[in-house]
Amino acid sequence: MTHASRDTIVSIILLLFCGFLIWAGYQIRDPQFGELPPAAWPRGVTWVLTVFCLIFFVQSLMADRARGSDAVADPAADRGPGLGGWFRYYYNPIVCLALYFAFLATLPYFGTLIGGALLVFALLSFLGGVTPRLIALHAVIAVVSVGVMWALFTFGLRVLLPRGELIPGI
Amino acid sequence: MIVENILTAVVELATVKTLLLMSVGAMAGLLAGSIPGFTIAMAIVLTLPFTFGMEAAQGIAVMIGVYVGGLSGGLMSGILIGIPGTPSSVATTFDGFPMARGGDPGYALGLGVWSSFFGGIIATVLLVLIAPQLAKVGLEFQPWDYFALIFFALTVTASLAGDNMIKGLISGALGLIIACVGEDDINGVERFAFGNDFLGEGFAFLPVLIGLFAFSQLMSDVRDTGKARQSLTDMGDVRVRIEHKRAIRTIVSDWINLVRSSLIGVFTGVLPAAGSAISNILAYDQAKKASPTPERFGTGHPGGIIAPEAANNATAGGALITMMALGIPGDIVTAVMIGALLIHDVVPSPAFISEQPTIAYAIFIAFFFANFLVLILQTGALRGFVLVTRVKMYVLASIILVYCGIGVFSLNNITNDMWTLAIFGVVGYVMRTLKFPLAPMILGVVLGPIAERWLSRSLALSTDVTEFVTHPWSLFFLIASLFSIGFSWYQKDRGRKVWTLWYAPLLMLALTVPLFMMGGTVRPVLAGILILWAGWMLVHLPKNTRALTSRETPS
Repeated sequence: MTHASRDTIVSIILLLFCGFLIWAGYQIRDPQFGELPPAAWPRGVTWVLTVFCLIFFVQSLMADRARGSDAVADPAADRGPGLGGWFRYYYNPIVCLALYFAFLATLPYFGTLIGGALLVFALLSFLGGVTPRLIALHAVIAVVSVGVMWALFTFGLRVLLPRGELIPGI
Repeated sequence: MIVENILTAVVELATVKTLLLMSVGAMAGLLAGSIPGFTIAMAIVLTLPFTFGMEAAQGIAVMIGVYVGGLSGGLMSGILIGIPGTPSSVATTFDGFPMARGGDPGYALGLGVWSSFFGGIIATVLLVLIAPQLAKVGLEFQPWDYFALIFFALTVTASLAGDNMIKGLISGALGLIIACVGEDDINGVERFAFGNDFLGEGFAFLPVLIGLFAFSQLMSDVRDTGKARQSLTDMGDVRVRIEHKRAIRTIVSDWINLVRSSLIGVFTGVLPAAGSAISNILAYDQAKKASPTPERFGTGHPGGIIAPEAANNATAGGALITMMALGIPGDIVTAVMIGALLIHDVVPSPAFISEQPTIAYAIFIAFFFANFLVLILQTGALRGFVLVTRVKMYVLASIILVYCGIGVFSLNNITNDMWTLAIFGVVGYVMRTLKFPLAPMILGVVLGPIAERWLSRSLALSTDVTEFVTHPWSLFFLIASLFSIGFSWYQKDRGRKVWTLWYAPLLMLALTVPLFMMGGTVRPVLAGILILWAGWMLVHLPKNTRALTSRETPS
């Protein structure tokens, strides 16, 4: 039996997304004025996207068939099998993104200066490793880099960066 | 008038503050260019937040500094360690690295630095001469023509797609969809918002851009812990003195190579989607073919450094010609610049030079200044750049991630933009992983709303869709769009399949129709020349077909 390649799975997801967009395109209110209704352009683009996705789907299926039984679920990946292998392979980006989202979620509490410094420190320690020397180095890099950035935007560019409840002044 | 505009632009830019800012931009570009894996587009994207508070001309000048710096920066790592900092310096390594390894790094760097400079200056002259003339044509445009022009720019996504065209087209269409989210500009009706306030606001261009390009790139850079902990380059403590006099003498004596390569660069830059990554290799190839000693290329031949470096800097001038004369991006960098102009409420269009002469001429002058600044910085701070590129990737990535967030916040002072950044960072990373090109998506985001606006204006004037083919410029761009869509296949099959022999003559013949429709004297004459040229190609078609067929089926 031929396994579906990654491209085929992606094309199916994209087609489902197109279906959703087509439905969403018909939910757009028509104000009944103007020659180009607000829904016309998004609907047109959605149909164009759907055609492209269909072509991609057919191409992927044909490529799968051409590969036959030798096809694997993801020929490009050089990672271990299963969900565990996938998670290990993308571990760094996943953790970095999680840290970034945590920074955004806690921004109202910590503010840009403290939150930013904590984020840089956390990223540096996660990616660079943790030894007493590195912790000290990362702390210095985090404080100096975010401090300079904060000062540059606050005083140089007059941007009122988000402040936190923890220390209301910064 | 031109002199007056140039003088106004010089006054605008020749201030200590602007020159200082441009120098910082050029330095940032040089650094980004010298770091393998960092793209010029990324450097420009990261510079954008700093330009919000500046005047439009000043902001664009800073970005041009980054652009020119980035193009020139790639030569340092290419010559010193054999790894090009950017794709635009790939061909420089062919002869630059052997020359440096052979004990002449100062001479190699001198050739690179001065060729970049001269290439940039030649491109500036052409930019000043050609862009305003080309822009005069734009004054004839009506809404139908504008829409067709933007449509043509959108079809360029097919050429930007690289190996997998369908993925590029999907990426471009997704960009158009992203631009639709939120209130529409014309009627103020919410689209794809589902009652959600965050979606109802729509996505600001900059967070989307930084998320897709920079954020996702950083995620890719840190995926492998081992690589993330390595220094950006392994350039040692370089103590090289650039040999200026010797390099200039060589370049002057090889001026034909310099001019030819610069022209190749400008021409490649003018073509949508064909950037400096292509021009440097094309120029190198031509220099080798024209050289009396082609066998010496690849062993440290001066001509092998002059050609790619002159071409890649000149490409920037070509891309700027397209951007300024027609208001469409020639490459991803000019797409970002168009986005930056939009942030400053300047809408790039064919009428841009006549409506915004100060900004337009500031771009010309900034491009000219930037070449001087880069030359000075490269000469004076070579060792400094090399030292900075020894920073470890994870350190730089961690700091830039936070900078991205702060930078996008400064656009509208709302934290929603920071969430948009993170969301599109994920989208960009997923797309990179699935091998979808990001450049078409950026084009879609930038050009989508402009296309819709012109379509709406066209239909407001007349609901008769035949207007799109009865207006000569509109027809011209629609024909160009049709051939642009097929260009990727043409490039792939050229020299291998018989149908490609029909592509150029058919394009020429098709374009003669709108040219004749335009009337006057010059354009019908041009159409006549195209007919003769196409006829000449068609006469030779059977011979070329036989040659190709015999190559396809060797006995």
